[in-house]
Amino acid sequence: MLHYLARRILLGVVTLLLITFVVFGLVRNMPGTPLTVGLGDMDPSRKVNPEDIERMKKSYGLDKPWPEAYLTWMGSLARGDMGRSFSRKQPVSRLIAERIGPTLMLSVTSLLLTYLLSLPMGLYASVRTNHWDERSLSTGLYMLYSLPSFVAALFLQIVLVVHLGWLPLFGMTSDNYAELSTLGKIWDVFQHALMPIACETYAALAYYSRFVKSNLEEVVRQDYIRTARAKGVGPTRVMVHHALRNTLIPLVTLIGLTLPGLFSGAVILEQIFSWPGMGRLLFESIRERDYPTIMGLTLMFSILTLAGQLLADVLYSVVDPRVTYS
Amino acid sequence: MCTKWRLMTQIGNQTKPAAPAAKPRGFWDEAWLRFRRRKLAMTALGFVVFMAAIALFAPAIAGTKPVVCKYKGQIYFPALGYFNTHWENPVFAKDKFRRSYVKLKAKDPNSWAVWPLVYQDPYRRLGKDDVWPGQPENPTGDQGHPNRYNLFGTTQTGVDVFAQMVHGTTIALLVGFVSMGIAGLIGIVIGAAAGYFGGWVDMIVSRFIELVMCIPALVLILALIAILEKPTIWHMMAVLGCTGWTSIARLARGEFLKLRESEFVTAARALGATHARIMFRHVLPNSLAPLLVPITFGIAGAILTESALSFLGFGAPPPNPSWGTLLNAGRTNLNLWWLVFFPGTAIFITVLTYNLIGEGLQEVTDPRLRGSKH
Repeated sequence: MLHYLARRILLGVVTLLLITFVVFGLVRNMPGTPLTVGLGDMDPSRKVNPEDIERMKKSYGLDKPWPEAYLTWMGSLARGDMGRSFSRKQPVSRLIAERIGPTLMLSVTSLLLTYLLSLPMGLYASVRTNHWDERSLSTGLYMLYSLPSFVAALFLQIVLVVHLGWLPLFGMTSDNYAELSTLGKIWDVFQHALMPIACETYAALAYYSRFVKSNLEEVVRQDYIRTARAKGVGPTRVMVHHALRNTLIPLVTLIGLTLPGLFSGAVILEQIFSWPGMGRLLFESIRERDYPTIMGLTLMFSILTLAGQLLADVLYSVVDPRVTYS
Repeated sequence: MCTKWRLMTQIGNQTKPAAPAAKPRGFWDEAWLRFRRRKLAMTALGFVVFMAAIALFAPAIAGTKPVVCKYKGQIYFPALGYFNTHWENPVFAKDKFRRSYVKLKAKDPNSWAVWPLVYQDPYRRLGKDDVWPGQPENPTGDQGHPNRYNLFGTTQTGVDVFAQMVHGTTIALLVGFVSMGIAGLIGIVIGAAAGYFGGWVDMIVSRFIELVMCIPALVLILALIAILEKPTIWHMMAVLGCTGWTSIARLARGEFLKLRESEFVTAARALGATHARIMFRHVLPNSLAPLLVPITFGIAGAILTESALSFLGFGAPPPNPSWGTLLNAGRTNLNLWWLVFFPGTAIFITVLTYNLIGEGLQEVTDPRLRGSKH
């Protein structure tokens, strides 16, 4: 096991180096630099004159060819420095620290909700297979699964905000947030978070409950379920105690694979709801050609993806003793 | 092989004429038979055909150019100009039509024309001198509610939404098929090489697949689009194809890894077939079924990604009636609900359609799922 882990981690480091190298090359070759994109587009009078651009390029290291700049970036990374954002004039690590809270707030809530709802729904659906209520539930979930989240978000905004006026349109807090009491603050954020969480949850819910259902259907055909029934265990206990437990195995490995998604945030949803999270940061940094921020986020997402895959494999051998790595 | 087999059955028939050999059904015939029994999947397939028909006849459904017209003794097909501007005869530009074919009768009293079903243009607002006689001008701003002249309403600039959506169908269809065609090709070739040759080829290719999978998809797609500077819809398809092949490659690798040990491959090798022939003539047809399923789901994914990119403003530039572009216009003014409702529903139904087809395919081609339902 230890040998296996060491090999995987070593391979992961090589992959990471390659990923960052490729992405660095890609973003440096995108037309426009952080100095030209944004400033001059909006206001011609704010256009920086060429000498200034040259000077700034030098100080930011943009005058060097990108492989050299990559080495510089790697060097400072090795010293624990992710660089400073061009457009926000802040260290990248602080930017990420600022944005990670709101994203986790959405994604963790949504993940918990998904697990809490999908297990009973999947269980219910597999018990009532081919009854009308199961059919309508499954059809409804399947439709939700195919409904793009950005379409759903816009529909919700039109109905709940524009027509009914129940919820705030976007953002995380209202303008008068600072004046609110503690309880009022929580209520305010809750109101703002409701639509993004709903949009993040429903598609995953559809996917997970179908997953639970199909796994349950497979498990129910196993011999040990028949044995349990034969020795007189009641139907509820068979489903919950004998069948459901074994469907949890694939669910556990799914956790590993959702890990990067938890931190990366839903780019489009955060964009629609102006949620100050990681996905929005990534989107904005690409648009502003903010190289250090793009690289910092890419590095983080890649590490999480690789770690998530490793975690899934390791968890798999933990929950299923038949799987060993040696 | 096949003729020889038939010859043998014929010889067999001569000796035993009482038993006419029923032609055995192939794998795909069998799968198609089962697929046909699935009502939902067939409905979905029918919907794709319906969309293809809309895309093909888009200029005849909504447009401002006559499908067929006779002008100064000649027959023309100006509506073809919607597919390619060069297919519109230059005589109309020379006679100063200025894109407005309503002047046809005035320029030549003997002319006749067959007009599209809905006289609206997907690219411009119909103004005072442009509009069909008796039809009001297209409303602008917040006034463009759906009405009998603008079935799905108009955008803030007064462009008809129905016409845009009809012409956008082409994009939705093409994006799915072209990008997944590219992705399928790359994925199958790379995955096949890795699985078939194994060893160090497999090692390198697998690392490469892992590498591409780990790069955040949005960074990759947006960076590639940005590098192209002026992306057309075709560039978008190429980018989506070049980034969406990894899961197909992984599956293809697994299939080839499994099948290269089988007896028919050994037999083909013994007969002296080349590697390329074994890979694509013998192994590929046997591994195509499990590969078609992710490709079908990939079509849904590609349509989703394209509309999401257009929605975020990263799509092909403006004269592009993509459904996502319409959604983007609706997002800036949510009071215009029709800008969100119609394209949003269209994207939803299209994605649902491909998912249903993919699931149908999965259930009719996967022997493990066979017979478990219905």
